[in-house]
Amino acid sequence: MPTIKLSNINKTFGHDLSKVHVLHDINFQANKGELILVLGPSGSGKSTFLTITGGLQTPSSGTVFLNDEPLNQLNKKALEQLRLNNIGFVLQSYNLLPYLTVKEQFELADRVKKTGNLTDGRFDDLINVLGIDDLMNKYPAELSGGQNQRVAIARALYTDPEIILADEPTAALDTARVDEVGQMLKSLAKDRNKAIVVVTHDLRLKNYADRIYNIIDGKMTQDTSNMH
Amino acid sequence: MFLAIKEIKHEKLRYGLIIGMIVLISYLIFILTSLALGLANSNTAAIKTWQAESIVLNKDANISLGQSLITKQQAKNIDLTKDQAYVGQSSVVAKSKGQDQISATYLGIDKNQYLYQDLKLTSGHKPTKSHQVVADEKFQQSGYKLGDQVSLNSISKKYTIVGFTKNAKLNVAPILYGRIIDWQAIKGMGPNLVASAVVSKTESTKISDANLKNYPIQSFIDKLPGYSAQNSTFTFMIAFLMIISLIVIAIFLYILTIQKIPNYAVLRAQGVPAKTLINTTISQSVILVLSGLIIGTLLTFLTAIVIPTSVPMSFNIPLLSLVAVGLLITSVLGALVPIKTILNVDPVDVIGG
Repeated sequence: MPTIKLSNINKTFGHDLSKVHVLHDINFQANKGELILVLGPSGSGKSTFLTITGGLQTPSSGTVFLNDEPLNQLNKKALEQLRLNNIGFVLQSYNLLPYLTVKEQFELADRVKKTGNLTDGRFDDLINVLGIDDLMNKYPAELSGGQNQRVAIARALYTDPEIILADEPTAALDTARVDEVGQMLKSLAKDRNKAIVVVTHDLRLKNYADRIYNIIDGKMTQDTSNMH
Repeated sequence: MFLAIKEIKHEKLRYGLIIGMIVLISYLIFILTSLALGLANSNTAAIKTWQAESIVLNKDANISLGQSLITKQQAKNIDLTKDQAYVGQSSVVAKSKGQDQISATYLGIDKNQYLYQDLKLTSGHKPTKSHQVVADEKFQQSGYKLGDQVSLNSISKKYTIVGFTKNAKLNVAPILYGRIIDWQAIKGMGPNLVASAVVSKTESTKISDANLKNYPIQSFIDKLPGYSAQNSTFTFMIAFLMIISLIVIAIFLYILTIQKIPNYAVLRAQGVPAKTLINTTISQSVILVLSGLIIGTLLTFLTAIVIPTSVPMSFNIPLLSLVAVGLLITSVLGALVPIKTILNVDPVDVIGG
């Protein structure tokens, strides 16, 4: 059973002459333990794909399944709960609240989601693996781009979700940091048994992906050239 | 509350400026309220000390003590009890050698009636004979002392200050309490006049003279020259200030919220309920306004200590507390304005490309 599955997803915006067909018959699935890359240029529809996968938008047609449960039957509040409990987002910007220290970013998660977050031991393990254990009292503005991204990944993993959806997580990073983040995402998928979906146009991440999809003009195809 | 406090602590300058603005608004409202109350008290302080419920005036006097006169003939038709007292009013200019002249109100009272008997002094004694007066503390503050010889208007015979009292002001002018028999001389209208009015601790006085009329004391106060106009002016100023404060605070909170939309969108994407964000906004505004009010109150108290006594200010704690609660409520209302924006935050906005 795939953790997340998109079946015949279409998304259109506008009506009549101004109608834009952003996603065409998207079929996609992600399993736990996998790092999946969705590659595409700007305007290809990859962000729309990500928001529909994360329950932030509803498709015009088709169904998104989470552990075989269709999301289109859930109301706004239930989707909110689903995002809180099952999905972690890593975004390219504004990911961390600028007025909270790294430690407080996790404290906030504890206040919003009272149970099911990482226990102290697993949390210490996570921040050690991500190399942010000595950054806990710093504000995001005091961190480098790479450090911010690692904290954002830790924040997404802290609520112990099954799925991590990452939007351009390497957009602001140099090649060395891209390799670092790619390696980290791959090991997190394997070691922590998460389904990690990264939408990006950064080809440097290709080496770390278990599967790659290309999305161009709203049409998704699987790239088999990178199959291991 | 967690997010509200953390953000304020981190953005000290930004929130410090907002608190500063609220301090200034609350300080201005407190001071204006105190001035309004002080001025109102200066008009009516003496009347309050009389504990009067009603007043008998000549019906043609337009409810004005200065214009009212009661003749001996009319006085026979007034049923005086221990709760009524004559009062004879005359505007005077008091001067003493080496002191500034003061525009005052001479009030003649009868030593056998309650106004005289209830008169409370801060120093000296009550007038025991003719040409003695008890003066309001304003005279003392202006340098007059017990035993000073004071001339009133152009009357050659001088009056001696034998006592001082406080809260003896009528229509802002300080009062000189003296014997009613002297009032007749000051008024210069001969012995046929008994008094200007009869004040009463009861709701009305029994009268059987068509030329006299009972008035509730509030009607009399409302007709004091300038009193109602002053009060209306201050009431409108304070009300407009409250409304403008509401708008200013609402605009500031709205701008603050708009600036935080990207952060809120991320939180919404992460599943943080809108309720949490609304609570944060409201609690933040309460914290800001409470801080501003506390500092504004401290400033007001400091002002109360240093303000010269010549400025008619009165600090009424229940009234100022009411104004403070009003400001707090208006600010919470202001914080409700951006709620729709928060509810409409679309997490999709932060997922670009």
